[in-house]
Amino acid sequence: MDPVAATTFPISGLLLAGSVAALAASLWLLLPKTSDTANSRRLGFLLGTAALIGFAATGRSLGCVGEDAVFLTVAGIAVISGLATIVTRSPVYSAIWFAMALAGVSGVLLVLGAQFLGVATIVVYAGAILVMFLFVLMLAQPSGMAPYDRVSNEPMLAAAAGAVLLGLLTLSIGRLSAAEPPSCCRMPSRAQGMAAAAPAEGAASEDDGSIAPATAGVESVDADEVAHLGAELFGRHLFAVEVAGVLLLVALVGSIAVVSRGEATETDHRRESR
Amino acid sequence: MIPATLLTNALLVGAVLFCLGLVGILTRRNLIVMFLSAELMLQGVSVTLVAWSRYHGDWGGQVLVVFVLTVAACEAAVALVFVLQAFARTGRLDASAWQALREENLPRVIDHGLPADDRVVPTWPHLTPAGVLPEGDDSRSLERDHV
Repeated sequence: MDPVAATTFPISGLLLAGSVAALAASLWLLLPKTSDTANSRRLGFLLGTAALIGFAATGRSLGCVGEDAVFLTVAGIAVISGLATIVTRSPVYSAIWFAMALAGVSGVLLVLGAQFLGVATIVVYAGAILVMFLFVLMLAQPSGMAPYDRVSNEPMLAAAAGAVLLGLLTLSIGRLSAAEPPSCCRMPSRAQGMAAAAPAEGAASEDDGSIAPATAGVESVDADEVAHLGAELFGRHLFAVEVAGVLLLVALVGSIAVVSRGEATETDHRRESR
Repeated sequence: MIPATLLTNALLVGAVLFCLGLVGILTRRNLIVMFLSAELMLQGVSVTLVAWSRYHGDWGGQVLVVFVLTVAACEAAVALVFVLQAFARTGRLDASAWQALREENLPRVIDHGLPADDRVVPTWPHLTPAGVLPEGDDSRSLERDHV
């Protein structure tokens, strides 16, 4: 249909440029600086919200799954928590925000239909890696907020670089969706409507919009997803699995060796000082 | 198989996560937060890989994400050991504590005019003492401290 193609095809350049500028400004305002005030942080939050809405609008004009509320929710959780991870001053809060971002990413993976990876992200990342980070923070965090957590390196340049890179990536994603035939989420339901020989397409389009995401969701769920992934892992990529196991073992042995050698040198120093 | 629109939206989410991680690793000075930012970039790449994998109906992308998880676990273990060693040497989790290793033409990082520590000091509730103070054996409690 023509309106679908019109919403799929172009990215509004002005919207994208505005979102990039707002994102750069908000990142610069939110990152730890010497000239921080509560008002500048508030302005940064506002600008960041505006930038996120702008990028969401860009995504909506890229595709037409804007109505997929579950995806929007989990993606919003992931992105906002990711932003909070890098701008929070306390590293402990940063790690906890990262756990929240992991929950959002896991939700995105589940919506995409990768069930095993969605659960593995929670179990491996949030359960193991993040807890290791928190242990190290408990061991190594000095009392109070350290001065190096209250400043950051080149916040303006880095924020501009990140925002511009995101704009370029969005442009290339938009070109990608423009190059492909606009196979929209309403296609299957419209095909069903045609098969049923619906007389009035214009009147039925409202119903199509509400039915389409549910149909797409049912299609994207693969009951044997884990079995297929396992067959692929232990069939075609068996050697790589073995190499990954060796890598884990070597990393374990290596980290223990480095830790114990460090302790040995410390005791040597103590012996020398005695 | 997922529709192309979900693909583009997921690619957008992956791009946002990647760029946020990039900004974090460029700006933050705490070693732990720098590693968290690197993990955030890995998450963005994982979302992108899974989206392409589901779009093409090919399992290669998801297998690659499994290996990304594995390598991230190894990397975190080894890197945190080095962070602990660095902390043992300098007493700080500061990347700029190692600025003696920088290139010759780069300026020194000097902190001046640091912002005030504006944390709110928590006020803990005062509980009324209850019960009898147990008889303490000082020597035994000292022993326990060293266990």
